[in-house]
Amino acid sequence: MNTNTVKISSSNLNLYYGSNHALKDVNLELYTNKITAFIGPSGCGKSTYLKTLNRMNDLVPNVKIEGEVLLDGENIYDQRVDTTLLRKKIGMVFQQPNPFPMSIYDNVAYGPRIHGIKNKSELDDIVEKSLKGAALWEEVSSRLKKSALGLSGGQQQRLCIARALAVEPEVLLMDEPTSALDPISTLKIEDLMDELKEKYTVAIVTHNMQQATRIADHTAFFLVGEIVEYAPTTELFTVPKDKRTEDYITGRFG
Amino acid sequence: MKKNYIKTLAITGLTILAMSSLAGCAGKTAETKASDTATTAGSKTDTTAAESTTAKGAASGDLKGSISMVGSTSMEKFATALSEVFMEKNPSVTVQAEFVGSGAGIEAVGNGSADIGNSSRNLKDEEKAKGINENIVAIDGIAVVTDTKNTVGNLTKDQLISVYGGTVNNWKDLGGSDQPIVVIGRESGSGTRTAFEELLKLEDKCKYSNELDSTGAVMAKVASTPGSIGYVSLDVLDDTVKTFKLENTEPTPENIKAGSYFLSRPFVMATKGEISAQNDMVKALFDFIYSDEGKELVKSVGLIPAN
Amino acid sequence: MQPKTYSIFSGHGSKSGIERAAEVIFTICGFFAVLAVASISLYMLISGTPALFKVGILDILFGSTWMPTAASPSFGILYVILTSIIGTAMAILIGVPVGVMTAVFLAEVAPPKLTKIVRPAVELLAGIPSVIYGLLGILVLNPLMYKLELKIFAGSTTHQFTGGANLISAVLVLSLMILPTVINISETALRSVPQHLRSASLALGGTQIQTIFHVVIPAAKSGIVTAVVLGTGRAIGEAMAISLVSGSSVNIPLPFNSVRFLTTAIVSEMSYSSGLHKQVLFTIGLILFAFIMIINISLNNILKKGDAQHD
Repeated sequence: MNTNTVKISSSNLNLYYGSNHALKDVNLELYTNKITAFIGPSGCGKSTYLKTLNRMNDLVPNVKIEGEVLLDGENIYDQRVDTTLLRKKIGMVFQQPNPFPMSIYDNVAYGPRIHGIKNKSELDDIVEKSLKGAALWEEVSSRLKKSALGLSGGQQQRLCIARALAVEPEVLLMDEPTSALDPISTLKIEDLMDELKEKYTVAIVTHNMQQATRIADHTAFFLVGEIVEYAPTTELFTVPKDKRTEDYITGRFG
Repeated sequence: MKKNYIKTLAITGLTILAMSSLAGCAGKTAETKASDTATTAGSKTDTTAAESTTAKGAASGDLKGSISMVGSTSMEKFATALSEVFMEKNPSVTVQAEFVGSGAGIEAVGNGSADIGNSSRNLKDEEKAKGINENIVAIDGIAVVTDTKNTVGNLTKDQLISVYGGTVNNWKDLGGSDQPIVVIGRESGSGTRTAFEELLKLEDKCKYSNELDSTGAVMAKVASTPGSIGYVSLDVLDDTVKTFKLENTEPTPENIKAGSYFLSRPFVMATKGEISAQNDMVKALFDFIYSDEGKELVKSVGLIPAN
Repeated sequence: MQPKTYSIFSGHGSKSGIERAAEVIFTICGFFAVLAVASISLYMLISGTPALFKVGILDILFGSTWMPTAASPSFGILYVILTSIIGTAMAILIGVPVGVMTAVFLAEVAPPKLTKIVRPAVELLAGIPSVIYGLLGILVLNPLMYKLELKIFAGSTTHQFTGGANLISAVLVLSLMILPTVINISETALRSVPQHLRSASLALGGTQIQTIFHVVIPAAKSGIVTAVVLGTGRAIGEAMAISLVSGSSVNIPLPFNSVRFLTTAIVSEMSYSSGLHKQVLFTIGLILFAFIMIINISLNNILKKGDAQHD
């Protein structure tokens, strides 16, 4: 019996880049306060799907999207949707760390500031809270005014996580967040995820199947724009129902 | 690294050497270079007056070589016509003329970089003291012009003085419509301006709203600005502007010769020393100017021959 | 049995003849460039300083009467200096914001079909000779300014009417002239801001305008400052275009006064001048040179400070 609540669900989602049918009839449910991993070979559409959830695909020219994505019951592709509010509710961390060329403080405070928070002590609190939430506070609290570009790769990625947390989202989308990082930073971020899921719903695209097994509650396997299989992680990896899934996870292709 | 140290030293040393040699030449050529390269809206019939090859003591008979003429923009029409006719008569002679201003012209002839200096004003005493000869070749009238729509047609000498002196600044005080007077003139150092101000005894007292640097620019500005007034050489008049009568006298050659049109000034082709001391080509040029044919040429460009 | 192989020693070490020749050529070219700059600086100093001592530094720099051909000449260029400073500053204040905003429009906002038309047009504008701008000024700007002048100063007995050739006309022409430079360089700078910074801002819920003003423009700062420096250089050194529209009388730089800039002062009187007058004109050139050096150095320092903050 599934006692999970659904945070985001997509039904009959189709996406076209020009004439390229990149996502085919994707039906998927992301559960509240759980980590869902998307795995699959390169070009299978997992990153594309992730980006439909916060409408970042809108920025791509020649893109066409059909179908529905419901966030707490509201269709995010409805005419009445304010995308800035949507992206406040759903945060994103990218594959390459992309801090702004500003100080660490200004990076984290950027989100709250553009959403209207001006009070300095309020911002100070938010910055501290977010940096702690990203397990970065200890390392940078003494140099908040220094440029973010002086941090190491792993620290920068955690800064990007803190930055995303600062606007107090409910969902966190992470697009291969550790693929550009060294093993130690990767480990730190994976440890972070367990804490994150207590407050947020997390969806993570990963190339690394071991990472999925380590941190994800549910895993979806994408292939050529479709979902082949979606199940709780241990099930998917031990008793996959589809032959293609089994071939992928045993390394026969991918 | 020792190698880099030597390299840097060598380069610095060479730079200093090169700069000092350039600086040495710089001092001498500063004056002439400035007058050569600074050209305003005036034109040139031939480039580089620096090549003033004066073939002294050339074989009599066919003249060969070049004459360089530098000076007033007002004299451009005359100088160009003169050069063309003279070169037709003497095919092996080139007359190179440059129009950069009376002051520059006199200076050029004074320091020997030009054979003839054209000036649209009399020479000053200190210029004559340098041994520069004032050879008056024609008399030019200065016309006062305004835009074609101006209703005023005549100015007295006093009215002209009051306009340029700044005491009158609206045409209605001169019998015209209620329109401010836009006072246009030439820049300081212009032969036309010097002559104009001297004749009206307004030296250094004129307050211009526009100081333009060539006769052509004044014509263009006056033609396109309602209520403007400006002064130009007589021979450039055309129907884009309206010419004032001064003391009810039109600026015509007859009136100038008769003395009834009071705004006139000499065209001077100055030489270093007497004409008889110049080279054969220059002497021939002056012979031509003072001949009957030369006087006809002077008249044909709207000037009055000097006696 | 050792297989046959070859020695790694060659006669010329690690640098072949061609490499060394190339090095020499580059050094010579660099040498000439440095030589040119150094010579110009030295020349300006040598020609410009004699008049400073003959006439007196205070008299030249702070005197307000310019009558170089009078019986007792005065060479005060205070108003001329002020005109150059104020005119250039005004041109920058108008030209830079308009230029940067246009660059933002082209780089961030405009649909691709529009940019395909507008960008080549702007690049073309950058190549138009200064004189053309001056001619446009005479044909279009001056008559308009004159009409404005008549309206504003109607009935005034103290204002000397200039027929439209005044400081404002010159400033407008200058702003127009620096626009293409500012637009082109700013646009390039904006375009080279990596896309992932914009994505980061948008993913945080920022609007496009917020992204442009809080992320893209600050990230492109050094390119934009370069654009400003180059635009300023063009504005302060312009002579031809503004000599046709600025009136050339020496006055206080008020908007509707006929004014003379450092550049037009040199251009209009150089050909007629002689002796001390000419030397003073060289001094004006030296002052202009000093101005440009000061502006370049201070703007570069601002840039360096900005960069240092980021380390």
